[in-house]
Amino acid sequence: MRGIAKSYGAVRANAGIDLDVEAGQIVGLLGENGSGKSTLMKVLFGMVKPDAGGIVYKGRELSGHDPRAALAAGIGMIHQHFMLVEAMTVAENVMLGWDAAGRWLKRGAMATAVRDTSARFGLDIDPEARVGDLSLGRRQRVEILKALMRGVDLLILDEPTSNLTPGEVAGLFGVLRQLKAQGKGVVLITHKLHEILEITDAVVVLRDGTVSGRRPTRDASAGDLARMMVERDVTAALPRIATGRGGAPLLSVVGLTVAGSAGDALDDVSFDLAPGEVLAVAGIDGNGQSALVEAVAGLRRPEAGSIALLGRDVTGASVAARVRAGLAYIPADRGMTSLVQGMSIAENLALRDIGRAPHSRLSWLRRGGMDQEARRRIRDFAIRTAGPAAAARDLSGGNQQKIVIAREMDRRPRVLVAFQATWGLDPGAARFVQEQVMAMRNAGHAVLYVASELDEVLALGDRIGVLCGGRMVAIVPREAVDLREIGLMMAGHPGGEVTA
Amino acid sequence: MTDATQTPRARLALLRPGSWRPLAGLGLAFAIAAALIAIAGANPLTAFGAALSGAFGSPGQVATALTKATPYLLCSTGVALCFRAGVINIGGEGQIALGGLAATAAALAWPIADPFAATAAALAAGALGGLAWAALAAVLHLTRRVHEVLITLLMNFIALLMVGETLREGLGEVGAGFPQSPLLPRAVWLTRLMPPTSLNVGVFIALAVALLAALLLWRTTFGFAIRATGASRRAAAYAGFSVPGVVFGVMCLGGATAGLAGAVQVMGVQYRLIEGYSTGFGFISVAIALLGGLDPLLLIPASVFFGFLETGMAAMQRQVGVPSALVGVIEGLVMLTVLAGTASGARQARV
Repeated sequence: MRGIAKSYGAVRANAGIDLDVEAGQIVGLLGENGSGKSTLMKVLFGMVKPDAGGIVYKGRELSGHDPRAALAAGIGMIHQHFMLVEAMTVAENVMLGWDAAGRWLKRGAMATAVRDTSARFGLDIDPEARVGDLSLGRRQRVEILKALMRGVDLLILDEPTSNLTPGEVAGLFGVLRQLKAQGKGVVLITHKLHEILEITDAVVVLRDGTVSGRRPTRDASAGDLARMMVERDVTAALPRIATGRGGAPLLSVVGLTVAGSAGDALDDVSFDLAPGEVLAVAGIDGNGQSALVEAVAGLRRPEAGSIALLGRDVTGASVAARVRAGLAYIPADRGMTSLVQGMSIAENLALRDIGRAPHSRLSWLRRGGMDQEARRRIRDFAIRTAGPAAAARDLSGGNQQKIVIAREMDRRPRVLVAFQATWGLDPGAARFVQEQVMAMRNAGHAVLYVASELDEVLALGDRIGVLCGGRMVAIVPREAVDLREIGLMMAGHPGGEVTA
Repeated sequence: MTDATQTPRARLALLRPGSWRPLAGLGLAFAIAAALIAIAGANPLTAFGAALSGAFGSPGQVATALTKATPYLLCSTGVALCFRAGVINIGGEGQIALGGLAATAAALAWPIADPFAATAAALAAGALGGLAWAALAAVLHLTRRVHEVLITLLMNFIALLMVGETLREGLGEVGAGFPQSPLLPRAVWLTRLMPPTSLNVGVFIALAVALLAALLLWRTTFGFAIRATGASRRAAAYAGFSVPGVVFGVMCLGGATAGLAGAVQVMGVQYRLIEGYSTGFGFISVAIALLGGLDPLLLIPASVFFGFLETGMAAMQRQVGVPSALVGVIEGLVMLTVLAGTASGARQARV
């Protein structure tokens, strides 16, 4: 692949990337969320058309292809979420959508073919097993088997280990070594350093849509790779005044444990938020971030642990009680959570305060009061809209987020929980959100800022926490931040445990 | 950028795109109905003429249509509130039947001399009967996670059979030869407005309920919670509303209005409980709720329209000789076309 470039609107997902994969080679593609890994592979597999650049596969130019053509040429992709019909058997899934399987179902022949291929690559798959009965690791092997039987010579695996147990990961690596031994090329997309070091022959690191480093794996160290993956300009000059950070904690979380599926659970997390500080939490998406913010906001019941707001225990308190106690929350999802898209701007600005003046009195809505309050907030927070009666859905993402900010900040909260608060916003709107967060900190309140963009976390945090696998693996003061270490910890690599 | 992209769409939104689509659906339904009438061997224009004169030809016919519209308006108001909260309550059929049963039982069990007190007590009993039935469905839905469509639908069958059984056993009139209750005491009869037609003060009760529902929906914090819950349960929980509380609340309200519909029908039209007296009311009310765009005030014209539709179709059948099944066909067509129309507008709907 040469000079691949792809932009989504103003975002440059890929800006001139080169990538080479040889037969019998496993290439690791490493990078944070949003660094351009997936876009690059979608270009290769024909799911996305590049704006510029070309692909040569086995000496042949490949352009304007779709996934079907890519598969026919011998390129296969295993997605994070499997494309299998659970109610069907393995053999049936292999036949599904495969022209070469013929119009008549030849179950016996197919089962034999599955058994042969399975034995050849050490996949250990029973063709008669129902996919729904198989573990995720086995299902992944079925996907690999499907690709191999279609004659794939270059296999792309998109974060293949994210849903697997450690034992299954070892099994997968065994399979990958088999593929390599038989001359197949493999691209492994991941953000886990140890996997790169363990299995790949060469590694390419992406950052902000460009290659930030490439080398043979034997010449790479975890520290190197972490630096290449996350290092960037962290000198964003947000106004930060000395607040002293003294006094009793505004928010105390002790031993918080939330049950949930892998990546959506929390395991014994504790921290304090002092007045005048931002605790910014870094981590790869899906390491317990939503469990953390939703438990603090009162949307999820923790299994164990306690949450205290301004010294009062609120572990069992309702969402409304927490709002009254001074907790503001900016959720990540504007589409279905923080806004009611079909309601007016005035109603959305009143969404979490509908029960009090000036929005209502004795359960009766006061349209006039809501309208006036909305006009004031539209002015104060510079929300660009035709007026309070317009529907929230008609606003741009940045202006929608301003509604949320206006509603949550204007209440004068003591503690703000923000989750991916600048996600999907253009730089100007993102800056506005960050300035509001800093203003709140500078006024002596406390902020828990959870984001997956590391530079944002570093720009905002007085202390930096790292979530990995549902655990707060470290909380480091801003002055003591070591990028290499943070990168290692985010990637689940046992780094030096520093706690402050 | 905001101003450029938003203004035309905001203006469109102000026109409430949901509101013209039901009318377009009606037009389509009548076009198809005209074709069916032609196939049945009658002139569609003559047939529609007969329907029009049958519906509006005399004050008595208008009164009959309004009488028919009364239980529809009551029940569809509750259905609309439920649908607004995203709760698909199709248990109106059973809730109406039990409302009628409860009103009858109360009127027969505790004879009160004072007409006003007797009427109020019987109406309240009817509302409570429907409410209790809906509350039971709500509890099963919320605690056992049975889908509300399934549970409200299945409870309809139980309710209808319960009414039949009661009329054959305890509450039935001895020697009537048909499952019906004895005549209710005069004290609970709703005042007739235009004798000899059955039009009674129940129509004002229905109007008042629709008005109250509109106030509840647009002017109270509970109505706000209903609308937020219907738009997104996650957003409602984030806003601090108790989603199960809202679901339970609207189902109870829906049950109460349906129960009231049954009580009004029994106390204002028949003066007794008759098996199968409310067959189809609950389902027609669902169609009316959707036809009226789930807006309690728009349910008034929608219910009245269905009242006129039924009287008009009956006249058409008598005078032109088209099959009586055509009434049901046209009602079904209206439901289909309106649903198809509103579904395509749902993405833009305001709440």
